Amino acid sequence: MKSDLIREKRRREPWFAARRDLSPRRASLLGLLSFALPLLIWSAVSYLPFLWHPDMELQISADRENVTTVYVAGDRMSQDFFPEFQESVRVQNKALEAALASFDPAAEVPNGAAVRRANKKILRHLVPVLISNGWLTEEQAKDDGAIYDAWGRIAKGEAEPVRPRLSDENRAIVAKNWTAMSKLSAVYDSDRFISVPLLSLVPQGRPANPDYLPAPHEVVITGIKDFTAPPEAERPSMWQRVGHSIRIVFGGFLLAALVGVPIGVLCGTYPVFSKLIEPFTDFFRYMPAPTFSTLLVAIFLANDAPKVALVFVGTIFQLILVVSNTTRRLEMPLLEAAQTLGAKQRQLLTHVVIPGILPNLYNDLRILLGWAWTWLVIAELVGVKSGLTEFIETQGRWRNFDSVYPVIILIGLVGFFTDQILSAFSRIFFPWTTEAGGKPNPIVRAILFIPRWFRDAAAERIPYRPETRTRQTGEA
Amino acid sequence: MNTLVDPLSYRKQSDAVRSRFEAMKQRPVVLSVRNLHKTFPTPGGSVTALKDVSFDVYRREFMCVIGPSGCGKSTLIRILAGLEDSSSGQVLLDGNPVSGPGPDRGMVFQSYTLFPWLTVKQNVMFGPRMAGQKGAAVEGEARQWIDLVGLSRFENSYPHQLSGGMKQRVAIARALANRPRILLMDEPFGALDAQTRCQMQSYLLQIWKNLDITILFITHDLDEAAYLSDRILVLKANPGEVDEIIEVPVPRPRTPAQFVSPEFIATKYRIDHLIHPETAAETDSIPFPRMTVAGDDVE
Ligand SMILES: Nc1ncnc2c1ncn2[C@@H]1O[C@H](COP(=O)(O)OP(=O)(O)O)[C@@H](O)[C@H]1O
Ligand SMILES: [Mg+2]
Repeated sequence: MKSDLIREKRRREPWFAARRDLSPRRASLLGLLSFALPLLIWSAVSYLPFLWHPDMELQISADRENVTTVYVAGDRMSQDFFPEFQESVRVQNKALEAALASFDPAAEVPNGAAVRRANKKILRHLVPVLISNGWLTEEQAKDDGAIYDAWGRIAKGEAEPVRPRLSDENRAIVAKNWTAMSKLSAVYDSDRFISVPLLSLVPQGRPANPDYLPAPHEVVITGIKDFTAPPEAERPSMWQRVGHSIRIVFGGFLLAALVGVPIGVLCGTYPVFSKLIEPFTDFFRYMPAPTFSTLLVAIFLANDAPKVALVFVGTIFQLILVVSNTTRRLEMPLLEAAQTLGAKQRQLLTHVVIPGILPNLYNDLRILLGWAWTWLVIAELVGVKSGLTEFIETQGRWRNFDSVYPVIILIGLVGFFTDQILSAFSRIFFPWTTEAGGKPNPIVRAILFIPRWFRDAAAERIPYRPETRTRQTGEA
Repeated sequence: MNTLVDPLSYRKQSDAVRSRFEAMKQRPVVLSVRNLHKTFPTPGGSVTALKDVSFDVYRREFMCVIGPSGCGKSTLIRILAGLEDSSSGQVLLDGNPVSGPGPDRGMVFQSYTLFPWLTVKQNVMFGPRMAGQKGAAVEGEARQWIDLVGLSRFENSYPHQLSGGMKQRVAIARALANRPRILLMDEPFGALDAQTRCQMQSYLLQIWKNLDITILFITHDLDEAAYLSDRILVLKANPGEVDEIIEVPVPRPRTPAQFVSPEFIATKYRIDHLIHPETAAETDSIPFPRMTVAGDDVE
């Protein structure tokens, strides 16, 4: 009965109500969806062949006469071009078919060596199919005896490739080539190898996305492989790279905070400093930090110093202005009240301004740390490439995008969780703020569990008075 | 109203009231304001906020300043507190000219000015700590002040956990903890609901009586002024000038029951007359057309 009422009430709660808070259940659900939806879209685009897939991934490729661009199995080409590619091979085959059919093993063909070399290549075009069907190992990829044998078995119908299945025209081509080849020898023998041009296999492929969008499972597998790979002489491990990147960002940021916060607070408190410092700062922040990179290398030389300096330069001017603004936003009546209570100028700074702005300052620094993260990649490109950026750069150039994505995602995760942890601790550091009263989101709650557990454990020994912490609204 | 009340009856004081005022005027003057002028420079020319304001506040007096909105009440009290400079004139505290804010003039603002990062107790201890006092004695005294305003249960609460009325009580305790010569209050109950305000007024009267403090209290509420004060300084607007200093003929101790006493009504009537000399006639003469809102079933 009662649960009916609750269900009824829940049903009537509108999903769309301007500025009205959603129930915690719905809020959590949406928070989860906010991450699940992009993942779902990525999976759908990757795994549903009818979604997008603008390219063809070649499973069997072919050489074409007089064309220098070489495609091998595994390469991608646009779906528009693929039929043209197939057609050019068919046209090429048609010209050769008659000569091959009337092949007489006794006749000597001039210029045989070059044709034999080309024919050997054609035999090897079947290798990716043989490997993916498990008939050949990677090491046997150049074992012409085994390849020759496999051609024979396919031609005689003794073996049937299934991954991928050969198209009917390719099976016919295999048979025609074999018929001609086997007139000379049933097993591979480089001395008794056909010197009349064989027919090329017609390219086969399957719809695929461009290489810059690998599927989730590929990214996960490559990511695990990359991150568990042990360090080598010239190649630090991924975790060493992560550590390096974090050191650069936090180093630059902490230095900027160390210098910028006192300046910002002074600017926000005393107009003397504000008028003296802020105009130049305001001007300087419009000069993009990366434009200083060569200068920084000249000053700080190689290694990490110019990188840290770039994060510093990119952060500090913004930081000074944000902090001075936050300081100025402290309500004037608080300063006036303190003065009527006998606070002197110096005490105003130490006992009113600083404690008064602390929660907002903390929040500002959190946001500015996010800002500092955005300098990471540029900073690591300064001087000698290093850290995660060097990895991204190299792999990206090789078009190993399945290696690039885990790093990009990891950088995002480090930034995101740093921010969430800092936001969670804000409630502990600043219990007097109104936000400290509200209900934290699930991530914050998970983070807060540990310090709360310690606090509650301590409270079992120290008498704890909960009534002083509850919000009071009525008059006592 | 004018047919029921003799306009000048507020001047009739009973013997007890008269002798109380005579005794008050024998006491030393705590705060003396002499020919105070204040003009603000604004883009459209200078604005005269106060013009030739002079008055005295006696020891243990409760004085209210009342006037229409914008007549310069806040400007006046801010000058007294030292938060604003006067253009000319003098403010004397115990005969000495004041310059700049100081703990000898406690101030309670209309907006809530408790330090949000300090608990109730720490807020009350703020003044003594600024004066360099430390230790358990300060804390013990702070507890007494908190007790006085009836908030012992909340001494470790933060301001955001308190209601508006409680915040203002803490603000009073915080100002009193400095043992000021005079307590300046700028519409301290203006933001409270009517019921809480009424409670706070009784509270303040009790504190005032029990502690023998001097209070200068700004309000724009006629009832509040007549209920609390010994004397009411009525300010005229544009420029802010002293209109009249009314000696409230309502005997003490005051209770809300006196709200309907003839003295009370006469006082209110006088203030109303001074502040809004024209309103009664004007509101009667505004033509107001008859309209139907409720539908066609109205006769
Ligand atoms: N800082 C200021 N600059 C210019 N004009 C001011 C300033 N403060 C107050 N005023 C003017 O002085 C007059 C009195 O203001 P105020 O003392 O706040 O009035 P009240 O408190 O009686 O409502 C108003 O006309 C106001 O516009
Ligand atoms: Mg005012």
